[in-house]
Amino acid sequence: MSRRPQGLTAGMLIGPATFLVLGALVAPLALLARYSLNRYDRANFMVEALTPENYLRFLDDPFYTGVLWTTLSIALVTTTLCLLLGFPIAYRLARSQSRWKSVGVLLVILPLFIGSTVRALGWMGVLGRGGLVDSVVGAVSPGSSFPLLYTSFAVVVGILSINLPYMVLTLQSVIEGIDSRIEEAADSLGADPSRRFWHVVLPLALPGLATGGVLVFILAMNAYATPLLLGGARFQMMAPMLFREYAVNNNWPFAAAIAFILMITTLTLTAVSSAFVQRRYKAA
Amino acid sequence: MASMATAERIGKAAAAPRVAHARVSVAGVLVWALIVTGILAMAVPLVMTAYISFFRDAVVVFPPSGYSSSWYTRIMEFPRFGDALGTSLRIAAMATLGSLALGIPASLALVRYRFIGRGVLNVLLLSPLTVPGVVIGLSVYVAVVETEIATEFPLIGSDIVLVLAHLLITVPWVVRLCVANLVGLDRSIEEAAANLGARPWSVLWRVTLPMMRQGIVAAALFAFIVSFENIEMTLFLIAPGQTTLPISILQYLEYKVDPLVAAVVMVQTLVIASLLLLLDRYVKLSRIV
Repeated sequence: MSRRPQGLTAGMLIGPATFLVLGALVAPLALLARYSLNRYDRANFMVEALTPENYLRFLDDPFYTGVLWTTLSIALVTTTLCLLLGFPIAYRLARSQSRWKSVGVLLVILPLFIGSTVRALGWMGVLGRGGLVDSVVGAVSPGSSFPLLYTSFAVVVGILSINLPYMVLTLQSVIEGIDSRIEEAADSLGADPSRRFWHVVLPLALPGLATGGVLVFILAMNAYATPLLLGGARFQMMAPMLFREYAVNNNWPFAAAIAFILMITTLTLTAVSSAFVQRRYKAA
Repeated sequence: MASMATAERIGKAAAAPRVAHARVSVAGVLVWALIVTGILAMAVPLVMTAYISFFRDAVVVFPPSGYSSSWYTRIMEFPRFGDALGTSLRIAAMATLGSLALGIPASLALVRYRFIGRGVLNVLLLSPLTVPGVVIGLSVYVAVVETEIATEFPLIGSDIVLVLAHLLITVPWVVRLCVANLVGLDRSIEEAAANLGARPWSVLWRVTLPMMRQGIVAAALFAFIVSFENIEMTLFLIAPGQTTLPISILQYLEYKVDPLVAAVVMVQTLVIASLLLLLDRYVKLSRIV
């Protein structure tokens, strides 16, 4: 009997948020999808049409597919590095009993508040022409220079330093959820630390690794400021290219097509990886 | 060389009784190397920015000809940063309050009620997190332009549009953190209150919400961060004279790197750091994030 009022209350509670997402995300995305099928015209900017030519233009041109490929490889490399570097830090933090633990967590949280431009600024000082590395190399062997800025290395390092705190925080909460008595049991049953890690800790932390990996991968695919500032004018990734099509070339239909290609690529890869982890997790 | 370094490590670690196998110690050294690399990756850019902000020269060269703190006092001569900071704080504050108002009830519905379409709504409310920021930005922009054409009401660059767009990216975080918090709470306390005659409204107000305090604080914190540091989406929605701080810094950096912009960034960082430390005294951050 109490079903109906319950459903009504729930509807009133969740209604406003649902309305927001439908009105400000789903409807605009539908509109953007429609735009992506329009035609661009130098004189009139956008001409109403129903054509796949924006998508075909992207897929046919090796320049655009190359940008997609660069974006994917940068995202994969940074995600791998985040997993590799994030896990040990997260594990230490999660298992720490020290009174400095909250200081450590605070030091990881703090960079989250400081926008990506700040990290880019610091790396520009380290890697740029006349920057720290360049000057040290120049002092050691005069006449030579070693500018690392405006390379894919700079972009990877920049994205890594932004995404790593997200990974550490995600993994830390997951590892704290793992009962430490399970590890103690492994110890007392004679497992050495590496065996304990591969057979006990890692399988239990796998869903957390997947969550953190997906989060960091999406952030890297989406990166705007870092490739722009650390990659320079020649280095192209999807997000800056999309913005340039919109702001500089005023080609909204093509920008819309880029948006959907970026989104579909990201969603497909994250769905595939979570399905893979879920299957392995069930099998294990 | 590597084995000598390892031998040294073993020698240092000999005080710890558990170190028995050399193989384990190699792994241990590797783990420490990873930890140090990770910490360097996070810390170096911030330390470097702080260092540059004290250079005396207007151009960044190593080593600098001298140090001074004059850039901090000169920030006020550049109103573009002050105005942008004001806009950023205003938008982030409104988006945080709004996202709590929308997100907390939604998470209550998702956890405490059973209804048709619950799973779908859960996915829908979290979906803005999986859409790239530039895609959200472009689509909201396009929708706003269509609305402007239909209503002839200027919207681009207005607070309404910025706050609405920021709600889109902050509500999912509030829902996510509050749902996680609610799932971990003992429901029997609410049931006890109801059994003792408390009306649903006062159960919510006096039992559920106070119990959710840590989740709500964490949600507010995250909402504020996400809104305050957003660049990708906001980029499409700003207008001349209405710019957020990260975007005005970005635009400056595209043009040049100097100690002034480093000082701006450090002031922003110090303000936020002190707020965080204050918050940490109230609720332990290590427990809520």
